[in-house]
Amino acid sequence: MEHTFSLPNSGHNYDAKASKLGMWLFLYTELLLFGGLFMVYMVYRSLNSDDFLIASFNLDVWLGAINTVVLLTSSMTIAMSITAIQLGNTKLSLRLQFLTVLAAVIFLVIKYFEWGAKIEHGLWPGMEHFISMPHGQQLYFYLYFFMTGLHGLHVVVGMIFILIVMNKIRKGSIHKNKHQLLENSGLYWHLVDLIWIYLFPLFYLIH
Amino acid sequence: MSNHNKTDHHKDDELHITSYSEHFGTWVSLILLTFMTVFISVYGADLNTLTVATALFIASVKALVVAYYFMHLKYDPRIYRVMLLVVMALFVVFLIMLIFDYLTR
Repeated sequence: MEHTFSLPNSGHNYDAKASKLGMWLFLYTELLLFGGLFMVYMVYRSLNSDDFLIASFNLDVWLGAINTVVLLTSSMTIAMSITAIQLGNTKLSLRLQFLTVLAAVIFLVIKYFEWGAKIEHGLWPGMEHFISMPHGQQLYFYLYFFMTGLHGLHVVVGMIFILIVMNKIRKGSIHKNKHQLLENSGLYWHLVDLIWIYLFPLFYLIH
Repeated sequence: MSNHNKTDHHKDDELHITSYSEHFGTWVSLILLTFMTVFISVYGADLNTLTVATALFIASVKALVVAYYFMHLKYDPRIYRVMLLVVMALFVVFLIMLIFDYLTR
């Protein structure tokens, strides 16, 4: 006779709906986090519109556009990887996730060169050229580095999330009938894309 | 009766699988919108405030496409869309309070 005691909901239950709802609740808070930053941007931009315009010419529209395409494409591959696992094609699903991670790396490399060029020109807060700029342009670069930096952090987290999911698929704990974690990583990745959709026009296209 | 059960079941539990071609179509529309917004910004630079408004409008269309198709909101239970609406309403309330604060200084 076994005497193992377990509560009805103690760990080994798989509840895809609850998991998804939890992920969405988290994403709603993320939207408000960036929403707050967009409001800060809006206020400072309306107070310093000319300086924001001048400062925005320091950014390369085409690099921003390439990164937009990279993120949109990776959003498609992670969405397709969910289709693949639902159809039972684990191999294709893993390949598509690998492509998503690859796109994340490409995005970060492009961002690295963008930031590198800015820092080389002394535009990082506190550098000599930065200090000599008008106050409004300084605000633009504070916001640029903070918001794209926070977004970049989300890219890194999303990438790690997908890598963890890939590992679990290889181990067999995520599969055709139990793939909510993959969907959650996809939702997170789409959020990263969604935020960039707003960051791109606000910082690169405002002229 | 059995028919009714079937639709309920369909609504709640049945897995909706988005096809590869639908995802590809979503991607194509997002890329087109991206080119459109870049084009307007680079070549339509004289209309300053108008380009900002169009850029934000196009961004919002893109965001909705991502949320509805890639994030599967279109096929999910209504609760997710309702909650998204609540979050956006909350954001608008913050925005209005902020605008009034700055307008009355």
